[in-house]
Amino acid sequence: MAILSLHDVTKSFGETSIIRGVSLDIQVGEKHAIIGPNGAGKSTLFHLISGRYNVSSGTIFFKGETIHNKAPYQIARLGLARSFQVTNIFPRMNVFENIRCALLWSNGYRYSFWHLLGREAKLNDKARAILDEIGLSDKAHFPATELAYAQQRALELGIAIAGGAEMILLDEPVAGMSHSEAENAVELIRRVTEGKTLVMVEHDMNIVFDVADRISVLVYGELIASDTPENIRNNPRVQEAYLGEVATDA
Amino acid sequence: MLKKLAPWIGFLATMIILPQLFSSILAISILNQMAIAIVFALAYNMLLGQGGMLSFGHAVYFGLGGFMAVHALVMIEFETVYFSVVLIPLIGGLFGLLAAIFIGSFSTRKAGTVFAMISLGIGELIAASSLIFADFFGGEAGVSGDRTFGPLFFGVDFAQDVEVYYLATFWVFVATVFMYLFTQTPAGRMANAVRDNPERAEFIGYSARKVRFISFCASGLFAGVAGGLFAMNYEFLTEENLNAATSGRVLLMAYIGGLGYFIGPIIGAVILTLMNSLLSNYTELWMLYLGVMFVLTVMFLPRGFAGFIMMHQMAWHHGKLKNLAVPYLITGLPALICLLSAVALIEMTHTQDEMLQYLGMSLNTASAFTWIMAVAITAGTAYGTRRSLGQLRIAWENANEPLTGDRE
Amino acid sequence: MLEVFIFATLNGLVTGLLLFMLASGLTLIFSMMGVLNFAHASFYMLGAYFAYSISSYLGFWTGLLVAPIVVGACGALVERYGLRHVHKHGHVAELVFTFGLAFLIEEIIQFLWGRDTKNYQQPDILDFPLFTLFGQEFSAYRGFMIFISVAIFIGLYYTLTRSRIGIIIQAAITHPHTVANLGHNVPMIFMGVFGVGSALAGLAGVIAGPVLTTFPGMAVVLGSIVFVIVVIGGLGSLAGAFVASLLIGLLQSYAIASDVGMPDLLDLLGVSFERSHPLNDLWTMTLPQIAPILPFLLLVLMLIFRPTGLLGKREE
Repeated sequence: MAILSLHDVTKSFGETSIIRGVSLDIQVGEKHAIIGPNGAGKSTLFHLISGRYNVSSGTIFFKGETIHNKAPYQIARLGLARSFQVTNIFPRMNVFENIRCALLWSNGYRYSFWHLLGREAKLNDKARAILDEIGLSDKAHFPATELAYAQQRALELGIAIAGGAEMILLDEPVAGMSHSEAENAVELIRRVTEGKTLVMVEHDMNIVFDVADRISVLVYGELIASDTPENIRNNPRVQEAYLGEVATDA
Repeated sequence: MLKKLAPWIGFLATMIILPQLFSSILAISILNQMAIAIVFALAYNMLLGQGGMLSFGHAVYFGLGGFMAVHALVMIEFETVYFSVVLIPLIGGLFGLLAAIFIGSFSTRKAGTVFAMISLGIGELIAASSLIFADFFGGEAGVSGDRTFGPLFFGVDFAQDVEVYYLATFWVFVATVFMYLFTQTPAGRMANAVRDNPERAEFIGYSARKVRFISFCASGLFAGVAGGLFAMNYEFLTEENLNAATSGRVLLMAYIGGLGYFIGPIIGAVILTLMNSLLSNYTELWMLYLGVMFVLTVMFLPRGFAGFIMMHQMAWHHGKLKNLAVPYLITGLPALICLLSAVALIEMTHTQDEMLQYLGMSLNTASAFTWIMAVAITAGTAYGTRRSLGQLRIAWENANEPLTGDRE
Repeated sequence: MLEVFIFATLNGLVTGLLLFMLASGLTLIFSMMGVLNFAHASFYMLGAYFAYSISSYLGFWTGLLVAPIVVGACGALVERYGLRHVHKHGHVAELVFTFGLAFLIEEIIQFLWGRDTKNYQQPDILDFPLFTLFGQEFSAYRGFMIFISVAIFIGLYYTLTRSRIGIIIQAAITHPHTVANLGHNVPMIFMGVFGVGSALAGLAGVIAGPVLTTFPGMAVVLGSIVFVIVVIGGLGSLAGAFVASLLIGLLQSYAIASDVGMPDLLDLLGVSFERSHPLNDLWTMTLPQIAPILPFLLLVLMLIFRPTGLLGKREE
């Protein structure tokens, strides 16, 4: 069953066409990677799915419901979460509070002004558990801006998964990390997205081929291939447009 | 547990003791003004400091709450209704809330400049309308009432200002507690989140608009309470209490005190009330000094007085605070003298008299010597302050050095 | 009836053009720095006061020439040493700074010139009626105001669209980094634009002073209306500011001149209310009475239904 379906989605900004008729189905539990050269429109595609941009035409369905042109908060509440390429945390809160805020809606707190968060034991336990999972327990009371880069990315991931979303969109999660940091990050991603659907934009081909069940290739706003890693590797169109070097040193 | 409650107990105790220490009529009047200002400034900061929404028209909720409160007083007086005047601030609060619900329904869609402009427009609109709708607002003359009617409250009829002060203390304490607790709730925390990163807040499931709306309504409620306290104290409200000047004043209070700290607006309210009531007795130019202080605060102390105090947290934590005492003195003393002599110069320029009474001295404004001295002292101490900044900076860095064993 | 209409139109034109002189400077500054300068009307007031002082000794025309330059210099200094410093503390800090500045300038003016209304005179040469229509005079001074306004706008338009510096400024508004990389001194450009914008406001003060009275409250009176105009016209759009200025100027002029009110409307509908009715104030409202609040009503309506204004481009 496809948890996410895009049908002929296009997006233009004025005269400029960024996404030109993308159709894609993502299955439940799938680990899907989207690759493509810079400027192909990968982030734009994410923005369209997560509600930051409206589509110019086409439809997007999530768990059978239309989500295109809905507000981000409506989409998030349906169980779709995302992380950002440029770290997008709550700078003036500490690490613990960042995670706790991400837990609020899915734990039923809504817009309550009568619950005192300090006394909500279950909630606070959940937040600590997540901090444990992402390895930031000892940094719980640090201001979020004082973390090292890789730790901020871990927090970024933590905020995305805290709400218990069924589908996670990760936008270049290991960008800017050293090799060992990236390894740890991938390990973390694997752990926290177990049993969930993952869609990832990534440039590092080793990670992509390692993690993904299926890969889609986006070039100039068009999906030129969507297949298993092996088939993608051997696809001549993809090799021509993008993969060139990897195919030769495989 | 006691450690957490200590500041609150201290707060309440201070408020209760103050009129015993300063019992003159003037002092009580000033304390009452402070109480009103504290609630108003804290309410305003729910919007600006915690919600990130800059409003230039918050006096609307203060004023509307106040007007409703005065009308309630009139109704009690003419026995249209019968309840104790101790509930008047609550009436103000409820009406402020009503107004905020109505206006917030369309004004909280966006934050930033659009919100600021809407608030300005609404503020002007309502202030101007108040002169047209003379029935509710009393036109140019305003509306007045009498707080001594209605059932007695444990034998008190609130004829005396100090009685009003103790009533105000109760409401200030209750309001402050609730405003503080709000910051610890989901609504309060998400208000902070939306302030800092509205986009991310949406992506974790919250409508930024709705979060802002709730903060807006809460802020209107407590501003209305402040208006009700004003009505109890002065028994008289005019268009002035709705206008841009009043809105501007509360912005000043919150900003000077420090937006990012809960206690900031309290500090700002106290400072501004003191300047308003005490300083104005000594010089006509106090508003000028206020303006200068405000601009300098925005430029050099963007986190306000509370921020300035909190800057020393690390040094205090390290036990190195006393190391800063002497450096502060070395810089502070010439700076203070510079300030005082600059003020003397300004006062001398402004005064019509030949002899200016300043800080216990009699300065002869006709004498060239006085002028030369004043200019020399100002210039000299300014230079001295400048030169001493270096040693202060070094001392500051030393005091804030991370200790070994701190975080990497 | 016709005479009322013609004079109302002329007066509305004078006001509208004056408002545009203020709004244009504000729009330029906003486009450039993203900050709505609360102190803009204060520079207008400074212009009037400087011109008053200068003209007391050296005549109106010297004041007309010198005062805007002095005000422009003040503006440039404010940008260089004040605004630029505050910029790093964020958007809210900038707005609050300009707000504090407006307050401070008003206090400084009262300190230097006193609180009374100043007797800032029109120049004698222009003290004659330009023409008389239906028995009412239209003074030459007002004609002069229109002339100066239009001359300035034409100059502004050509400078911005045809001259080299104008093109650089337009580019710096949207792409300051690119322009800096091309070797232009962007901070200097910012300072210049702020200075010119302030000078424009000062000029408006110089010519409006004799007509709208020179007193410490003059910034407050006009200040909020100018913001309304800039927002209604669309933040960042000069054309929008132009349209909105004329719109508001004419609207207010017509409203004040007309004699229509709620009672007329109620008569038309055949409805009447008792004097003691609680909403009596509402039913007896007249158009001249609500003329001062019309701009704000428009502002609120515009912000609700079309937050980008009539012709706005810059989205926050």
